[in-house]
Amino acid sequence: MRYDVVVIGGGHNGLTAAAYLARAGKSVLVVERRHVLGGAAVTEEVFPGFRFSVCSYVVSLLRPEIIRELDLPRHGLEILPLDGTFTPMPNGDYLWRVNDHAKTRREIARHSKLDAEAYDEYGRAMIEMGRFVKPILSMLPPDPTSLDPRGLGQLLFLLRRFQRLSRQDQYNQIQLMTMSAVDFLDQWFETDVLKATMSASGIIGTFLGVRSPGTAYVLLHHYMGEIDGAFRSWGFARGGTGAISQAIAGAARQAGVEIRSETEVAKILVRDGRAHGVVLKNGDEITAGLVASSLDPRVTFRRLLDADQLPGEFLEDVDRYKFRGSSAKVNLALDALPDFTALPGIGPHLRGAISISPSVDYMERAFDDAKYGRFSRRPYMDIVIPSLTDPSVAPPGKHVMSCFVQYAPYHLADGAWDDQREAFGDTVVDTLAQYAPNIRNIIRHRQVVTPLDLEREWGLSEGNIFQGELTLEQLFFLRPAPGWAQYRTPIGNLYMCGSATHPGGGIMGAPGRNAAMKILADRTA
Amino acid sequence: MTQVVIIGGGHNGLVAAFYLAKAGLKPLVLEGSARVGGGAITTEISPGFHCPTLSHEVLIHDQIVTDMELGRHGLGLLSPGADVCALSPNGDPLVLWSNNARTADALRVRRPQDGNKYLTFRDGVDRAAALLADVLSSPPPDIDSPGISDLWRLLKTGREFRGLGTRGAHQLLRWLPMPIADFAREWFEDELLRAAIAGPGVSGTMLGPRSAGSTLVMLLRETHRRLSGQRRLQVRGGPGRLTQAMAAAATAAGAEIRTGARVDRIVVRDERVTGLVVAGREIATTTILSSVDPKTTFLELFDPVDLTPDFLSKIRNYRAQGTVAKINLALATLPPFRGVTDSSMLTGHIHIGPDLDYLERAFDHAKYGEVSKSPWLDLTVPSVLDAELAPAGGHVMSVYAHYAPYSLRGTDWPSMRQTFLTRVLTTLEHHAPGLGSTIVSAQIITPAEIHSDYGFSGGHIFHGELAPDQLYAMRPLLGAGRYESPIRGVFLCGAGTHPGGFMSGLNGRLAAQHVLRSAPVR
Repeated sequence: MRYDVVVIGGGHNGLTAAAYLARAGKSVLVVERRHVLGGAAVTEEVFPGFRFSVCSYVVSLLRPEIIRELDLPRHGLEILPLDGTFTPMPNGDYLWRVNDHAKTRREIARHSKLDAEAYDEYGRAMIEMGRFVKPILSMLPPDPTSLDPRGLGQLLFLLRRFQRLSRQDQYNQIQLMTMSAVDFLDQWFETDVLKATMSASGIIGTFLGVRSPGTAYVLLHHYMGEIDGAFRSWGFARGGTGAISQAIAGAARQAGVEIRSETEVAKILVRDGRAHGVVLKNGDEITAGLVASSLDPRVTFRRLLDADQLPGEFLEDVDRYKFRGSSAKVNLALDALPDFTALPGIGPHLRGAISISPSVDYMERAFDDAKYGRFSRRPYMDIVIPSLTDPSVAPPGKHVMSCFVQYAPYHLADGAWDDQREAFGDTVVDTLAQYAPNIRNIIRHRQVVTPLDLEREWGLSEGNIFQGELTLEQLFFLRPAPGWAQYRTPIGNLYMCGSATHPGGGIMGAPGRNAAMKILADRTA
Repeated sequence: MTQVVIIGGGHNGLVAAFYLAKAGLKPLVLEGSARVGGGAITTEISPGFHCPTLSHEVLIHDQIVTDMELGRHGLGLLSPGADVCALSPNGDPLVLWSNNARTADALRVRRPQDGNKYLTFRDGVDRAAALLADVLSSPPPDIDSPGISDLWRLLKTGREFRGLGTRGAHQLLRWLPMPIADFAREWFEDELLRAAIAGPGVSGTMLGPRSAGSTLVMLLRETHRRLSGQRRLQVRGGPGRLTQAMAAAATAAGAEIRTGARVDRIVVRDERVTGLVVAGREIATTTILSSVDPKTTFLELFDPVDLTPDFLSKIRNYRAQGTVAKINLALATLPPFRGVTDSSMLTGHIHIGPDLDYLERAFDHAKYGEVSKSPWLDLTVPSVLDAELAPAGGHVMSVYAHYAPYSLRGTDWPSMRQTFLTRVLTTLEHHAPGLGSTIVSAQIITPAEIHSDYGFSGGHIFHGELAPDQLYAMRPLLGAGRYESPIRGVFLCGAGTHPGGFMSGLNGRLAAQHVLRSAPVR
């Protein structure tokens, strides 16, 4: 049987692209190597009764139009709010910011009255910036080197939008695009732990420090989420992150998409410069009118294709595309809840995110370690305990604790990740123990997911969670390669639809949807 | 008729004075110290030894040299044959000559792939510099209501951009935000070569080679090199001769220069300038150009009441934290740099910093308010090319040591100056065994002194970070980025305006032209 489209990779973007294509009447097959769908947006019962969001653990950027158009709530998507960020400090104090603005204001005022006043102003400014940037997420990035009138029109549109901003907003926008998170926040706030925690979102998934120019932009990236209409709030899916992928898969199946898991693609079939299907690891060939790869460019172009099928310059660009994974996960199955010295006992502070980011220096030194090929001696951590809000992910009375850790550089100066796995896990637990000493007694099981694991098992080259760094030189019209930012590739009928395309990573679904729209537009042209 | 007054007799102030004088005005330059020159001055650090006090890289725009007839006023320019000599702790130094073919051949011996790529690399950088040349030598556009000339320039730049070809254009777009470490790694394999390429991207800034924006700084420097007409320039007799020639040219054109005339404050009435106070005396004027850095201008020379709180807050946020200390040495003999067989290798910059990680580690300290344990050095020995600068056989060495952050944690510069000087001398000794015993005199100028004695806020030699949000129409601020200030009649013309630092003199020229266009001064 011949399909209209074969989608390689059943991650959330691949599934999204498939769903949209099928809704437009195409016959679509999704092939997924693993036994479970979702890519890095998966829930896996790693230990009996404990269902870990193994990789991705929070969602905020999932496009509301996708939630609406694919009717994801009907397919089981339920996003539970993640209320607040709790930052314990080594001196026994803490900083706890919640969605309730008044409460947060009072909390910040405890540290600095000036900062409490600045906080609301800052939030307002960021929301305005988010609103300005929002249309760019669903735009096809125009190439300023081409004279394509549509592209020029879009550039002009962006420029006019910029012109119409107030001087203050223009100033903020330029700063956000270029400055470091700390430099940007230094202009607003004086409390060190506040700046450290806020700037942490600027470095998630990057190989940059909170003082590195370019990290203020990612502050905005993570601010632009919408959940049930409320701008900016983070949340997690009931049933773990995998529930998001399952919901998208449900919508896809309903639209007629055929999904095959435990099915690995060996090569993309190309004839006369055009893709016409795939050949599987077991030798089976599947023919299709076009192929869409949701995998990253290194895997797609260096593994699934041969070098002589692609232009030399394009391959140079693919090889230059930077991954540099810096993140790891430590997932814990707990017999009880952690007890934080800074705020003892069980309380609502455990229902939100727990951030190990006590100072700007702490964050920056964690990064310094990574630059020279070592995992951070004292790492940054973003932790959630979803079982407190969603009992379905752990046995009664027990808990799962999801620790996102930075920095864990893919390239180590000494040794290999498989040998360092346990030492890394111990470093994480030791760090946690400084804030919640009971942690060592309550860990039932521990899963350490290193950057090498992310590459090997979840197909993310060098363990980069965004399928490639979100730095300006590989964003917009430069992502994943200059001149190839509109989901097409040098091979006819071969498209890209994963996080390595615009607008980048996070569980957005936008790349998948945008790619599908592009495919449909090309087909009707 | 009230005179136009220019605050600061550094090179930009003098250039502005010249152009205004040429247009028939009678500008008055007020220089606070005993001599003109700003950052382009020479100090006799020991009898007979004349060393560049601060700047040792002067990329004066050749059009300005011609317009001001600086040659006639005593300026002599020397053209070194070497760009950079990067010293290796355990091997041969690496020289990037002004002659590209010669460099490529030498690199091929070291590492064939690097040699083979060098000419393509230089071509790419030169083409980028050619494109940026117009941007840097023209005023920034008015973002709110671009004028005809703004649009015309934009079209011209757009055409040149397309002239790069799609691949070239994409390459430039990638380069602009890139960290120079990544840039250097994309091109070359040799670590010392990578470090030598990275140096110009971070020197004088609060950036490390892994910092985004460092490739842009390198490209800006290359563009000014191109605009100066040479790859490298050295002023015969020391940098002070340049500013002396400029002062002579400005005076000949009709400007008046007063030294020892420190401006106390600018007098504002009804949001426009009416005069300024110098040594207690008020001078009436309705047009002032300040070549002093933006922070000093707005935070020291104005009564805060005359500026809005929002503007003041933004100027305070303008980043101008210096990161270099200057060390000037008088030496009895040519420094015995390891592996240097021929003094022609030493006519350019000498780079001490063997690999990218060394530079990055040095930078790490700056982030925490510490001086680098192992500083990287950007130095020149201008006496190699110019025997006038030292007695026979002797030499002067001009060293910029990185990183020496202006704000130190837990200590201050008076306490650290000797320690840091010793550290720099130790580093030099390591690369030039025996140098220590040839030192006739050693001087250190700390960032605190660059601030207090030489008038650079925060000790920042570029009058503020050359970061994308502080460049072009946003230098120093969006809304004060085209040589104007919030106060009618007060203009900016120093390095804290477009096109930034590097001693091109373009700031002074473009500011003067802007004043002539927009403020009919009668």
